[in-house]
Amino acid sequence: MTSLILSPAEQDFITRGVEGGFRADGRGSLDRRQVTLRTNMISQANGSARCRMGHLNVGTDVLVGIKAEVNTWTPGEPDNIGSIVCNVECSPSAAQEFEGRGADELNIELTQLLDRILNGPQSGICLEKLCIIPKQAYWVLHIDALVLDVKGGIVDTLIWATRAALLSTKLPRVVVESIEDEDGNLQSEFDVVDDAEDQIAVEGVNNLPLTVTFNQIGKRYVIDASEQEEAATQARITVAVSPSMDICAVQKSGILRGFSPSLLTEILHTACKIAREEFSRFKDTFAAVLSNQSSNEANTGSTFLGAF
Amino acid sequence: MSRQELLSPEGLRIDGRRANELRRIACKASVLNTADGSAYYEQGNTKVLVAVFGPREPRQRTALQQHDQAIINVEFNVAPFSTSERRKRSKGDKRLLEISSFVRQTFEGAVQRGVYPRSQIDIYVHLLQHDGGMLEACVNAATLALVDAGISMDDYVCACTAGLVDEQPLLDLNGQEESAINMPGLTVAVLPRNGSIALLQMESKIHATKLDDVMQLAIEGCKHIHKKLDEAVLAAANDLAVKLNNSVQ
Repeated sequence: MTSLILSPAEQDFITRGVEGGFRADGRGSLDRRQVTLRTNMISQANGSARCRMGHLNVGTDVLVGIKAEVNTWTPGEPDNIGSIVCNVECSPSAAQEFEGRGADELNIELTQLLDRILNGPQSGICLEKLCIIPKQAYWVLHIDALVLDVKGGIVDTLIWATRAALLSTKLPRVVVESIEDEDGNLQSEFDVVDDAEDQIAVEGVNNLPLTVTFNQIGKRYVIDASEQEEAATQARITVAVSPSMDICAVQKSGILRGFSPSLLTEILHTACKIAREEFSRFKDTFAAVLSNQSSNEANTGSTFLGAF
Repeated sequence: MSRQELLSPEGLRIDGRRANELRRIACKASVLNTADGSAYYEQGNTKVLVAVFGPREPRQRTALQQHDQAIINVEFNVAPFSTSERRKRSKGDKRLLEISSFVRQTFEGAVQRGVYPRSQIDIYVHLLQHDGGMLEACVNAATLALVDAGISMDDYVCACTAGLVDEQPLLDLNGQEESAINMPGLTVAVLPRNGSIALLQMESKIHATKLDDVMQLAIEGCKHIHKKLDEAVLAAANDLAVKLNNSVQ
């Protein structure tokens, strides 16, 4: 996604390597890089996570913060569900061309992709539970992602970080009181409980999908491309798969050419297989992160002041 | 917020500090891997992450390149989750542009730009949490990041804020104090060795006789911050020395 200029010799090296089953860092074509994950670091957000994918602590780095706000219902909106609003921003520290308005197009593309995966029944999140009082008030989950570094494959890291942040999100409990007035109508009022101990998780976050990005290089494809491999990619396709093996979103970013339909079927099939492994890897990593967290208190400094 | 609450009769502020106490400072250099220099800086609950790139080739080669010195470019990014109410600021927000401009002017005076002709030094500031002292935290964090990047500077640039309540100068205003009505806020950045002032900005009004006291208090605060930044630089250097020693063996 960022422009790394490769010489024809390097491009040939990578292409022939991939076709022969070799990658520059020794991985197999379906092997992924190391993942570092940390959650609950932003104290004033309801949920947060930071995820890095790469070797030796250098890789694509994404920070996600989730804030929940109560919105008043306006006529025209669906009257019994909450909503999710996504926003992705690429920092210029990731690439010089992201300075000023340079990252606008990429930001919009990633925001729309995230929105497509999360805003709807395919995300698995129970939007009905986010409604506080029908036709009156509902929760809006604002998902804000900050991409600090890009070393090939933003989408996968972004989805990992978002999933981890949503899994660790805690919403304050809401108490709804309904009284019947003279006309027999039900008047409801809600009150947000201001207790840090009395918070509930978002329902359905365990059904959130994960993505697998395939990069076609030459006649073969690889997963979790590095920066150089991405620059040699001819076509890229991202597939989002839910834990129940439903395909939630598919996006092709064409750079030079298209996919043949038979390759596409193979890719979708492989995506489910890889997603299965990814879900178990995510579960293990997330469990390890939770057990390592010394206290439940969110501390922004922990991910920057300590080692990450 | 009444004046009484800002400074109680016993001399305690809302967060329990005395009038001349700084908030807790924690900082670390070299926190990002790709940037030439980076720093994470916390002052109380205001948290800033800075990445410095440079000196490198300017993006727009012809227009801004200067033949005898480097250009400093600052971009300030406020995370939507930084305030207690989520708010996304557009890239063209005037307040953000103003702060970027101040930071740039401050460092144009401190960085030895003549050492890097025809190049550009980029300072990217991310505000992760906002609780008062935005400009001061940005300047301090940027100083640490520039030192981490190895860019030639005349001296550290240390910034601090101060205010005035009931004739009593207050050091290092937090978010609640800063947004209190009629609270004058003075931000000063100094180069500690010769005491010269690199940045001076004031909001609201202070009586001319009181200005000197408030400014002196802020400059005292700057000296303390200088010590903290120096410790962070030494810690980063020690860390590097340890790693080099280990690898040599």
